[in-house]
Amino acid sequence: MPENKKETDKIEQAEKQWQQQVIEKRVARFNLSKSPTRFYSPTSIKNFDFLEKVGFPGLYPYTAGSNPFDFWRAYAGDAAKTGYRPDWGGAGGVGKYGGFGTAEDYRDYLIRMHAMGRTGGPNMAFDLVTQCGYDSDSPYAEGEVGRVGVAIDSFRDFAVIYEPYTGNLEIDKVPSNFTINAPAAVIIAMYATLAEKRGIPLDKLRGTPQNDILKEFIARGTYIYPPGPSLRLFRDTCVFCTRYMPKFNINSMGGYHIREAGATRVQDLAFSMANAAAYIRAGISGGLAVDGFAPMLTFNAFGGSMEIYQEIAFQRAARRIYARMVKEKFGAQNPRSMMIRQPITAHIGCSSTTLQRPLNNLTRAVVGGIAAGMSGGIPGAFPPYDEPLGLGHSQEAVQLQLDATRILIYEAKVADVNDPWAGSYFMESLTDEIESEALAEMEKIENMGGAVAAIENGYMQKAISKSAYERQKQIERQEDFVVGVNAFTGSNEISVNVNRVVEATYDPQLLKTAEKRQLRKLEQLKQERNGRAVSAALSDLKKHAKDESVNLMSDICECVRNDATLQEICDVLREVFGEFQQTKL
Amino acid sequence: MEPESKIRVLIAKPGLDGHERGAHVVAYGLRDAGFEVIYTGLRQTPRQIVNTAIQEDVDVVGLSILCGAHLSLTQMVINGLKEGGAEDILVLVGGIVPEEDIPRLKEMGVGEVFTAGTPVSAVSNFIRAAVSAS
Repeated sequence: MPENKKETDKIEQAEKQWQQQVIEKRVARFNLSKSPTRFYSPTSIKNFDFLEKVGFPGLYPYTAGSNPFDFWRAYAGDAAKTGYRPDWGGAGGVGKYGGFGTAEDYRDYLIRMHAMGRTGGPNMAFDLVTQCGYDSDSPYAEGEVGRVGVAIDSFRDFAVIYEPYTGNLEIDKVPSNFTINAPAAVIIAMYATLAEKRGIPLDKLRGTPQNDILKEFIARGTYIYPPGPSLRLFRDTCVFCTRYMPKFNINSMGGYHIREAGATRVQDLAFSMANAAAYIRAGISGGLAVDGFAPMLTFNAFGGSMEIYQEIAFQRAARRIYARMVKEKFGAQNPRSMMIRQPITAHIGCSSTTLQRPLNNLTRAVVGGIAAGMSGGIPGAFPPYDEPLGLGHSQEAVQLQLDATRILIYEAKVADVNDPWAGSYFMESLTDEIESEALAEMEKIENMGGAVAAIENGYMQKAISKSAYERQKQIERQEDFVVGVNAFTGSNEISVNVNRVVEATYDPQLLKTAEKRQLRKLEQLKQERNGRAVSAALSDLKKHAKDESVNLMSDICECVRNDATLQEICDVLREVFGEFQQTKL
Repeated sequence: MEPESKIRVLIAKPGLDGHERGAHVVAYGLRDAGFEVIYTGLRQTPRQIVNTAIQEDVDVVGLSILCGAHLSLTQMVINGLKEGGAEDILVLVGGIVPEEDIPRLKEMGVGEVFTAGTPVSAVSNFIRAAVSAS
């Protein structure tokens, strides 16, 4: 970098001349009001300090990457030689995200997967009834039981799913993922109870619960209690996991959902960082040292747009903001606390895909894969091109998605260099810009009282829905273009039909009868269990819930052990905590 | 706009699904296009939606459904409106609806189905034409 002033002045001078002699001429020649392109020079990043702003991959402030290479890159050659398929899951990981019907239906599905060699741990999708803390016999459940995931009413259901996980696949060997938020404490208690009943030490358990309730208020809508008590439950799980299940990740925070709900890039970054700060404060308020639990916080791929440069800068800025926040604001000393741990970095997000000429979504996903590969992640082409068709992913689309990622890794060699944009006048300037805008937004939220306050007063929800509407207006006014949607839609464009075979993952007959079968099981459970023990456990939970200082996990575990249902547990907490009232927009 | 007779639209999210970007965008867009818009918020049963539609005396109900249960949820709303003597209310569906389900929804009596990528102006034009024709 030209540190001496003379050199900088020289460049500045030259840039001015270029502006007048080349740019202005060109703008006039094409009859424009301003140049449609930009060029970045050393004047864009004056006083750039490499070590302070970027540093080395795997070192603070992690701008250049959380790690120089991960597992998948270390063994990329072996993966190619052995034909490894990441969607099948392996000894070290979880299988494909899934779940439907009753616990028995999902168990049988997992057994079929195992027979095919797909032996990854359960990666559970729960039905909306479970996600919202209801049982299958709730009036809210009608038509939704087992539909978008598996129905879990009690520990009995949970244990059924794990029947095929014994021996080599015992739960001290295979991790599990639980995409669950509001009732996360109950599901974690079920997992701990399962280990207890099987005689597996809790400290051997691995896995990840989503356990990111704050973004539910902002983006996904499966909340139960108001944000304050919800964060208290997070605190209790955080302390419980840290104390007894140290290998089990505490949560998986999402900016991805926030972006899909309509947030701008800066809102996504600021809101998810504000949420992260709230979780860290919750852990500290539970009596933990920041380095005692922050290394077990994870993120799930935040980001999500087609703007490749911005998404790369976004990942770099996110890593730097998070590292500095955890170190400077919360006093962490363990480097692992300061790192963003997430399975993938950049991606286009499902909302970038189009229903119109859907094969184009493969091209779009590849752009996201390149952005990921250039920002420290696996160059994952995501999602499969038929995502917006709403029928499940076809085998062909999944194959093309996997192959696109492989082509980026093995043929284009996108992942052979860490942070290839480090030091670029443009990328460093863009990273600074996104960082400073996000920091300003974070400060605004901090001044409101943090993420919980900014949710309670509806600030985040309103900001996002306004951004979503602004984006829609931009598209309708053709201020921004989406191929095949608001441009290039004429009669001379042709639609490209593709052959699709949708894997019959979930038997439609089972889906149809799931609700009935689940109701029968629930009824049976309520007859068979020791009603007195259930009431006693629930009443202890209620008593302790009223005292904010008490950790509720041991009470929840006791409820689970005694076959209290998920809704019974959540109802007790509803009585004490109340329910979240949605912000009017 | 003729302020004395604004078209009243109820945007509703039946079921437990919480993805409301589409509902918000359409609600904002229709409001800006001069309609009177009521948004139910999340977690509404078909019964609650029918009651709100009748009480608020709306001209149009727009159901936003992304959870795959569009056939059963829509049928329940349409049946409820009929039972309540409000079958003249125009029912529209938006969200993730596979192409082959669109004719089935229309057979039930749905006026139009708007899938991803539809401009809000297409929705407002449709409503204006349909309501003024009735």
